[in-house]
Amino acid sequence: MTSSSIEVRALSKRFGAFTAVDAVSFDVRRGDIFGFLGANGAGKSTTIRMLCGLLEPTSGTALVAGHDIRRSPEKVKRSIGYMSQKFSLYEDLTVEENIRFFGGVYNMAAPDLASRLRWVLEMAGLRGREHSLTRNLSQGWKQRLALGCAVLHEPGILFLDEPTGGVDPVSRRAFWDLINRLSEDGVTVFVTTHYLDEAESCNDIRLIHAGRIVGAGSPSALKASTIRNPILEVECGRTVEAMDLLRREPWVRDVSIFGVNLHVGVVEEAEGRRRLAARLEQAGIPLRRIDRIVPSLEDVFLRRIEDSDKEAGR
Amino acid sequence: MRKKAVAAPTVRAEMAGPVRMVEATVFASIRPIIRKEFRQIRRDPRTLVFLLALPGFLLLMFGYALNFDFKHIPLAVCDQDGTQASRDFLARLGTTEYFDILYRLDDPRLVDGLFGRDQAKVAVVVPRGFADDLSSGSGAPIQVLLDGTNSTSAGTAVGYIAAIVQSASLRMTTQVLEGRGFRGLSVPVAAEVRVWYNPELRSALFLIPGLMAFVLMIIVVVSTSFSVVREKERGTMEQILVSPVRPLALIVGKTVPYALISLLSAHLALGLGYLLFRVPIRGSYPLLLLAMGLFLLGGLGQGILISTVTRTQQVAFMIAILTTLLPTFILSGFVFPIRNMPGIIQAFSFFVPARYFLSALRGIMIKGVGIGAFWEQILFLAAFAGLTITVSAVRLRRSSGVEGEGRKRR
Amino acid sequence: MKAVLAILKKEFIQIRRDPRMLPILFLAPVLQLLLFGFAVNLDVRDIPSVVCDQDRSPQSRAYLDAFFHSGYFTRRFDVGRTEDVDSRIDGGQAVMAVIIPRGFGERLLAGRGATAQIIADGTESQSATIGLNYAAMITSRYAQGLLAETFVRLRGSGLRPVLIEPEVRVFYNPDLKSRNFLVPGVLGMILMVMTMMLSSMGIVREKEAGTMEQLIVTPIRPGQLILGKLLPFLAIGVIDVVLVTSLAAFGFRVPFRGDVLLLGGLCLVFMLTTLGLGLFISTISRNQQQAMFTAVFFMIPMILLSNFVFPIETMPGFFRALTAIIPIKYFFTVIRGIFLKGSGWAELWDEAAAMAVFGAVILALSIVRFKKRLE
Repeated sequence: MTSSSIEVRALSKRFGAFTAVDAVSFDVRRGDIFGFLGANGAGKSTTIRMLCGLLEPTSGTALVAGHDIRRSPEKVKRSIGYMSQKFSLYEDLTVEENIRFFGGVYNMAAPDLASRLRWVLEMAGLRGREHSLTRNLSQGWKQRLALGCAVLHEPGILFLDEPTGGVDPVSRRAFWDLINRLSEDGVTVFVTTHYLDEAESCNDIRLIHAGRIVGAGSPSALKASTIRNPILEVECGRTVEAMDLLRREPWVRDVSIFGVNLHVGVVEEAEGRRRLAARLEQAGIPLRRIDRIVPSLEDVFLRRIEDSDKEAGR
Repeated sequence: MRKKAVAAPTVRAEMAGPVRMVEATVFASIRPIIRKEFRQIRRDPRTLVFLLALPGFLLLMFGYALNFDFKHIPLAVCDQDGTQASRDFLARLGTTEYFDILYRLDDPRLVDGLFGRDQAKVAVVVPRGFADDLSSGSGAPIQVLLDGTNSTSAGTAVGYIAAIVQSASLRMTTQVLEGRGFRGLSVPVAAEVRVWYNPELRSALFLIPGLMAFVLMIIVVVSTSFSVVREKERGTMEQILVSPVRPLALIVGKTVPYALISLLSAHLALGLGYLLFRVPIRGSYPLLLLAMGLFLLGGLGQGILISTVTRTQQVAFMIAILTTLLPTFILSGFVFPIRNMPGIIQAFSFFVPARYFLSALRGIMIKGVGIGAFWEQILFLAAFAGLTITVSAVRLRRSSGVEGEGRKRR
Repeated sequence: MKAVLAILKKEFIQIRRDPRMLPILFLAPVLQLLLFGFAVNLDVRDIPSVVCDQDRSPQSRAYLDAFFHSGYFTRRFDVGRTEDVDSRIDGGQAVMAVIIPRGFGERLLAGRGATAQIIADGTESQSATIGLNYAAMITSRYAQGLLAETFVRLRGSGLRPVLIEPEVRVFYNPDLKSRNFLVPGVLGMILMVMTMMLSSMGIVREKEAGTMEQLIVTPIRPGQLILGKLLPFLAIGVIDVVLVTSLAAFGFRVPFRGDVLLLGGLCLVFMLTTLGLGLFISTISRNQQQAMFTAVFFMIPMILLSNFVFPIETMPGFFRALTAIIPIKYFFTVIRGIFLKGSGWAELWDEAAAMAVFGAVILALSIVRFKKRLE
């Protein structure tokens, strides 16, 4: 067996004239937490659905756990777990009934199921709620139950499609702790998200934009390869005006708004600080603070999208 | 000072103000709902096809297929007498359009097998000595054997045979008398038969109005039974309920588009019935329109009522089917005469608006009678429509007051 | 097998958990049979009639007595003027009218031949046809009687009246009760509606709820899923069969002459066809509304072309051919045969085969059409 659990080659999906996924290729190493990062509609869910055998690709191939997704989607299904972005367990079944149901569908033997049932309840913190109707659970609990059902049959690969949508920060943190534990146990986790802080927890990332991959690597490698020049965080008045102003300066690489602040990429730090202060003063915009910051994935992401759009002539 | 100069117009405006406001809110809340429903129907061509084309299509199909005109009933005969008289008699049975002599048996015991395999429905056995009995005047017995499984066709067949036999013996008797010189002796009593409204006794005239009521009722109730519950399941109902729309306005807004479309559909069915099956409209058209409008409103009201009392589309569907499909078919008078039903069952048929519609429809279309003959029917239709729509509105208001059931499901 | 069991169990739990489902599943069939079993009655008996006797002679009274002693007609109204006859028939209170013109008795006595006028409301063509037949028969029997009196007077001359006396024997349903024919039909209708209704929502409901997506990524096979959906419905159907057939046999006293086990077995085969059709509709529909429309679109023709009341023999050729693909038509032959005729396997095997073929084909189609893919 190869060291990759997923190998994707020139995978495309078209819906009529619209190309949702455009010839993407990548490998996912065994045991990695692999992040698939992109805005809504970028092609994340379409890719994950093709890999799970839910959608048939228009062209290209992919091997999941060594099985071709076109030729033997059923073998793929046996080796994966999947959790969709919409909660898709039975709301009118209790917690335990849902778990037992999926155990049956995955053809699990009774003793295995009994021990996994205990494990899932423990893991998801649902002990004591076995007999609650799923409908009455909070969103965070539903999420963990869905994860539990997805890994019930101990799949080697876990696909999570925007797993934390609509979940509060505390539950999100708890959820990611679970994902880290699964990864430590050797499960390959393929997760799509548009939360950039979540992406920081991934070993390997692909940025997807308009159906194409626009960036690849670990979070730190991505940052290093994308953003070579220093980034200054600027707190000032009239941010929008300041941004327009700075964009026109030749020594500024790029400007974007983050919250109430500006992130300004400059050629060199000391020079940049000086010119910035001078330019803002000249325009009469009050400057409160300039700090050098470590670039975030968000900076990377926005830069990559900008570059890719420029390339495409948009 | 300046104020005083414009005082008069201001007062007038103030008086006009509240009145216009009331008008505005009622209209303002119904119109967008009507528009929204129309848009949704247009974007979902299946509903439109279902509502508009299906009644006409079914009428077209079944107008040709369904009739009660029992003719050419498969007949087996067994002539044990083998005389001229027996042959004459059996030939008389065969020359009518009611019976086709398919089997001539030597042994009457073979009839069992024919009936068991559904190859014949009636058998006539003429026993040995038939001709002798006839001439001796002691009464010549023949045997008529019937498969009684389908009591209707069997009953009709008995009627035909009895009438043929009766007229045969009557004719033979008068022949005997005339042969002996009793000239000018006519049949003493004759029945002069007149059939009103439907002189050819075509069952199409009986069945097509029934078919119209049956199909329209089902389609109207089924297509609206989804209206509210679907919005509940999808969560869009909450959004509407938090807006200032009044429940009655919501119900009316949801009903009007469907009412217009189904009225169109009903006219399509009427037109087809007239063109293809010569089903006339002998009475007043405005009356027909009134009955039709009230009937459709009642159906829509029933559909929406189902939709407001259910939580899931599945249950709404089941209740819609259970309360329309068979009840309309069986309790409306479509085929089964209501006068034959026991009192309790007749009481149940009060809740089947198709019953009133059907008798009004038959009255107007076939009999051409005026409102005097069926004003009660019109009254019932109006009451049913008013009741269902009001109850739906009340139910909706109550559910908007309590915790939305849609939220619990989310 | 485990996967099938899991689906099966889940379906049962879901049904049990919806408080509205149980009464729909088990109470509705019984109530419907009670309601419709009493309602379906095509017996032409006691036809409400109006009489206008303008003659008022012993002869007219004798004729009317003969008319109303037959049991086919009920003398509901007696009116003096013919216009009143019109209004009774227009208003639907009477379906038949007998008008005896002035001079009826005198003409009879004079041997000149008298005429009674019979009017029928043709809107109910079915009852009118049968009613008119009866009226004609009664009239000629009355005439025959009068002639017989003439013969009595002529006894010395050696003349004999000519009389053919039909001796009617009815097989299977001696009293020609339409109930015996129709109640098994209602039973079949109820079974069809219940099973199709349930199964047509079976798959599409999960599509709409999103649970189908989760189910598709599991290794479950389409056949297993269809089977897991089919079996619970079949179980419900079996309970309904037991409920309604015992009600028909004991409550309505429809004679039961056949084999209970054969009936049970063939009911199962029949339900495979309707459940299969429902599941097929469910697999080809995108949402519940679509499924419901499609189910209704199938059910209406099946009711009308089933031989329930509308005789197949009288349909034009095309429609008679069309009924070959309507499974409930075969079921009606089966259930009426077993109830009334005591038919056995020898008479019913071809119906059983037709239903089995239909069921197998439609279930196979559902399995093939059910793609483990999203659209």
